[in-house]
Amino acid sequence: MEEAIIIAGKAIGAGLAMIGALGGGIGIGLAVGGAVQAMGRNPDFTPTIQTNMILGVAFAEAVAIYALVVSLIILFVLQ
Amino acid sequence: MGINWSGKRRWIALLLLIAGFVVMFTTPPIIPVIQLPGEVYPAGWHLFGFLGPLPSITNTLAGSVIVWLLLMLLMLYVHRKRPQTGGETPPGGFYNFFEMLFEGLYNFVAGIAGSNIGKIFPVFMTIFLIVLLSNWQSLFPGVDSVGFLEPHLDRETGEPTEGYEVSHWFGNVYSLNSKCPWVSPAATELLTENERAARQLQGCYTGNLSPAPVAEEHVEEPEAVVEGEATIGEEGAEAAAGAEGEATVEGEEHAEEGVVAEGEEHAEEEGAHHHTPGDPSVPWVVLPYVRPPSTDLNMTLGMALVAVVFTQIIGFQALGVGYLGKFFNFRTLFTSPLGGIDVAVGLLELIGEIARILSFAFRLLGNVFAGSILLFVMSFLLPFLPWPFFILEFFVGAIQAIVFALLTAIFMNLATVGHHHEEHDEHDDAAHAEAHG
Repeated sequence: MEEAIIIAGKAIGAGLAMIGALGGGIGIGLAVGGAVQAMGRNPDFTPTIQTNMILGVAFAEAVAIYALVVSLIILFVLQ
Repeated sequence: MGINWSGKRRWIALLLLIAGFVVMFTTPPIIPVIQLPGEVYPAGWHLFGFLGPLPSITNTLAGSVIVWLLLMLLMLYVHRKRPQTGGETPPGGFYNFFEMLFEGLYNFVAGIAGSNIGKIFPVFMTIFLIVLLSNWQSLFPGVDSVGFLEPHLDRETGEPTEGYEVSHWFGNVYSLNSKCPWVSPAATELLTENERAARQLQGCYTGNLSPAPVAEEHVEEPEAVVEGEATIGEEGAEAAAGAEGEATVEGEEHAEEGVVAEGEEHAEEEGAHHHTPGDPSVPWVVLPYVRPPSTDLNMTLGMALVAVVFTQIIGFQALGVGYLGKFFNFRTLFTSPLGGIDVAVGLLELIGEIARILSFAFRLLGNVFAGSILLFVMSFLLPFLPWPFFILEFFVGAIQAIVFALLTAIFMNLATVGHHHEEHDEHDDAAHAEAHG
């Protein structure tokens, strides 16, 4: 019984931690949306825009990845 | 050079598809026991079965050794293939591909780094190749799935935990029996009759109607079975648990508990690797020989430290001691009304520099480790169709390698820019750095 409660707590905690991925998703969507619009208006600057977009996406993704790492730690490291 | 889909290859592809179906039904996939730190090799292991005994390492270190060897081979290959004089015809094949990659990345970084390209590009390319090869390792068959067979016991108490039974194929080749998750004798009593009968039908050793049968490896101890009252089944069970002969089993109803106790004592006394493979008294898991190094925090943190330390080095090279003025900015404290803010901004940048290490390390670890778990889980859920996820992981690995190396290049370039020369650019850059921290 106790084990079951511990497992349930871990699962709930890991799930809650992944709420943080929400921000990353919104951020990446905004960044890529803006970049695609800019590229559509100004195709000559595609390489520059792409570089900056990938950088921005990486930064936004980092936040989601922190959430992921926290939930992975909850699931697989916490005893 | 396109793929020739006519002729034999089509038949080979069809045969592989059929083989995939057959394997899917005969040996259903296993969801592995997932562990974040790198698994440690058993003490006194032998390389290729005869070289050793060697000290214990983690399987992620074995993965990094493979990366180093591959990089050395690549270096030798490129060095030998490179045309020494101008007039030769360029070598074809992989060399041309690598040169194209190299040149493309060089131009890419040159657009970012400008005149610092000579210092930044070697670091960029080294980090890129190491991280790329590390990330792509999980795509290879056998990585993460072929390894030592280990009894899965709790590290502190030595109690058996979860795992699978083992089926013997031939020679030294064993596999986990995916149809038979290991069940402790105590848990066996909780199973219903039907479940036990089903397990017996599958040929499982544990959790079935009869007590554990004879395991062949243990029968060479004849003293184990001479106690008078024991029936045939109990003799087998006793032998399977590795009892040394002094175990006296009183009656039939106590047989199972007796076996358990013996098994546990055995495990505690002799250490885990004294269990013969296939011993049904303990659960078994696979300890992979190789795991992608970027699934280990040690590797990603090491790479992050290298990246940040190189950033500081190039900063000091470019600006001298004045580089510290970026972080401890007391110049305007008494001359300008906003001097205090400059001090705070400098300290924030110092914190950002430290946070960069964590950011680098966890971004790579999170992406690649989550990717390898995704491959596990998808191979388990869709045993026939995991390949779209392999393609996804291929791209994720490449993008993460690019991002890691590119961020290093950008931060190195930023460090060479003085604080008070280009006010406007600096503000943009600071915004970048803060978004990152």
